[in-house]
Amino acid sequence: MDKLFPTQEIGSLAKPVWRVKGYRGFTLSKEEIAEAAGWGRRLKIDGVDAFIKLLNEKDSPNRRKLILEWSAKYAIRFFETAGLDIFYDGEQWRSEMYEHIIRNAAGFEFLGHVKSFDYRYFNKAACVNKPKYVKPFYVDEFLFTKQNTKRRIKVPFTGPYTLVDWTFNEYYEKKLTGKFKDLKRRKFEAKREFLFDLIDEVVRPEIRNLIDSGAQWVQIDEPAATTNPSDEEMKLFVESFNATVKGFDCAFSLHNCYSNYEVLARHACDLQDCSQLALEFANRDGKQTGVENARMGYKDLKLFEEHGFRGNYGLGIVDVHTDYVEPPELVRDRILYAVKTVDNPSRIFASTDCGLRTRTWDVGFQKLRNMVLGAEMARKALE
Amino acid sequence: MIGSYVTGILPRPQELVELTRAYEREKVTEKKVEIAFEDATAKAIKVQESARLTYVTDGMLRWQDLLRPFTENLEGVKAGSLARWFNNNTFYRKPVIVDDIELKRSITGDIARTKFLPKNLPWKVVLPAPYTFVRLSENHFYKNGTEFMFKYAEVLNEEIKSLEKLGFKYVQLSDPALVYRPFGESISEQELKVVSEALKVAVEGVSVKTCLQTFFGDFSQALPEALEFPVDHLGIDLYETNVEKLKEYSLDKGVALGLVDARSSLVENTDDLVKFVGETIESIHSSEKADFFVCPNCDLEFLPWERALEKMRVVGDVAERLGEEAHG
Repeated sequence: MDKLFPTQEIGSLAKPVWRVKGYRGFTLSKEEIAEAAGWGRRLKIDGVDAFIKLLNEKDSPNRRKLILEWSAKYAIRFFETAGLDIFYDGEQWRSEMYEHIIRNAAGFEFLGHVKSFDYRYFNKAACVNKPKYVKPFYVDEFLFTKQNTKRRIKVPFTGPYTLVDWTFNEYYEKKLTGKFKDLKRRKFEAKREFLFDLIDEVVRPEIRNLIDSGAQWVQIDEPAATTNPSDEEMKLFVESFNATVKGFDCAFSLHNCYSNYEVLARHACDLQDCSQLALEFANRDGKQTGVENARMGYKDLKLFEEHGFRGNYGLGIVDVHTDYVEPPELVRDRILYAVKTVDNPSRIFASTDCGLRTRTWDVGFQKLRNMVLGAEMARKALE
Repeated sequence: MIGSYVTGILPRPQELVELTRAYEREKVTEKKVEIAFEDATAKAIKVQESARLTYVTDGMLRWQDLLRPFTENLEGVKAGSLARWFNNNTFYRKPVIVDDIELKRSITGDIARTKFLPKNLPWKVVLPAPYTFVRLSENHFYKNGTEFMFKYAEVLNEEIKSLEKLGFKYVQLSDPALVYRPFGESISEQELKVVSEALKVAVEGVSVKTCLQTFFGDFSQALPEALEFPVDHLGIDLYETNVEKLKEYSLDKGVALGLVDARSSLVENTDDLVKFVGETIESIHSSEKADFFVCPNCDLEFLPWERALEKMRVVGDVAERLGEEAHG
């Protein structure tokens, strides 16, 4: 990137009602169709009339497929119109970051819902056989994105450590039963085998296919990276990242959020070929402008520097968990604070904390717009 | 005696999961959820009975997390932000201590659904232990953790006494924070002394059986000090504990062995466990008179309902087999 502070998002974007209901085969209300038409005009999308006609049609496999494509096209135009330099398709093709991969690979069985917190649950699978690659699960959406934008594409890819952490490990625990006296050791070794089989059998084949299709940047999403903060587990995590990316001719970055950065910072410098760490900070920060004490949310950035991480940062400057729209001045000051912490401003990319999945398109758009404006203000301030 | 029980919160049966999800999206009424909770509670008790567990709990299906009834109902405590529940993909609300904590009335009485508990079996209840409650809270009121821990222990003592009056025969204090040490630093002797003193306050004048259940970490690091803790039984997570180190000690207290892994969906084989316990228990238990319990290593809520059910059956089966062997 030739300019400072290129702007990027992390991956997900809310799915419009017409995408969710339309894909399930429901009839859409007038309001829902009007929303599609409204955003279509706002984003100046070609062929909106044909699309609206499609939404009024009866459900069919072809209509469902086209709805997916249209929602990806909308998301791409959404990011382009907001002015982002680097993005993807809002993950409009995916059901969700975990299930999408697990359902598309062999060796897994969904067991049912377990509690996340309160009345929120997640559908958890068990690995019941050696994982196997069945068919590409990100390639189609990537090719579609490539066809629909000239800007830089970053493919979000749910990381293997997270997939393993979120999955019961029946196959390998059973395989190792009786091989270890210590049950804790058995569990850890079973996890290790599962993790590296998953990388070799499923993750790397898909990365290979993405690269063969033209992908130049893959972002490994590892929300579970610091769930087990012990040294042994963190080393396993780092090892898994390195094994995932090894030898590929492609840029790789790591996204991790709502996490323990003290722990991650200690191990980040051992990540090989990690061109960027995309981290969430805005969520921890105050709303006042200023580049000194007001920026307490960004103090952990220093830890990564102190521990010797020398890659770029996807600096989270937009909080995705609130409707509060950060003014450009606040965005600017967050960037300028980071400039003081990091030795070279070209290592800073302006980013959202995480995917915008939980925000409405209206709020998300304003947030991105201000991020773009704030990054421009930061560039000016450095001139 | 050789007994068995569950160690904490049970998962919600699938129909209750569906209903509470719908409730979150405001698609069903509170009344409907209320009824569903009652039905599921009756079901959760029934499955413990049919697994032939010695003590039964009400399943704790309403508990959003181990601390929540206290977080929401104690005077002086506010519900804070979500935080990770140890090394799990599960979250709890941090209790934020803003004033002197006080118990206005028994709070778990509302949550422990005694009307569903069977008359012919002894009842068990699970509460957060002092050390864990303090470690997981954000303290803005007491001058230090020790002062806070003793105050909470007093509150806990009142609560345990109310539960005793309601008819509970067994009180488990869950203490994962005591042993969860991901960075390798063991709890200090001094800290263990304070924990012991706080437990003394918590169980003062209590006549029912008490257990300090540890999980998510290696119990052996709390030895030998934990042997002096003023509780009847000590709970050990065998999936986290260095058993060889455990064997260096002779435990004359009762133990609750967490030998069914509630964080793995692989259902254990009864024969394997019976054999494993035989070897372990012989070397750590000096007194044949001391109680011995078989249980899951931690709350079964990490599993989907059906798997939890199978695991409860294994717990019951293992206890029964061990009982037969001891008498036969």
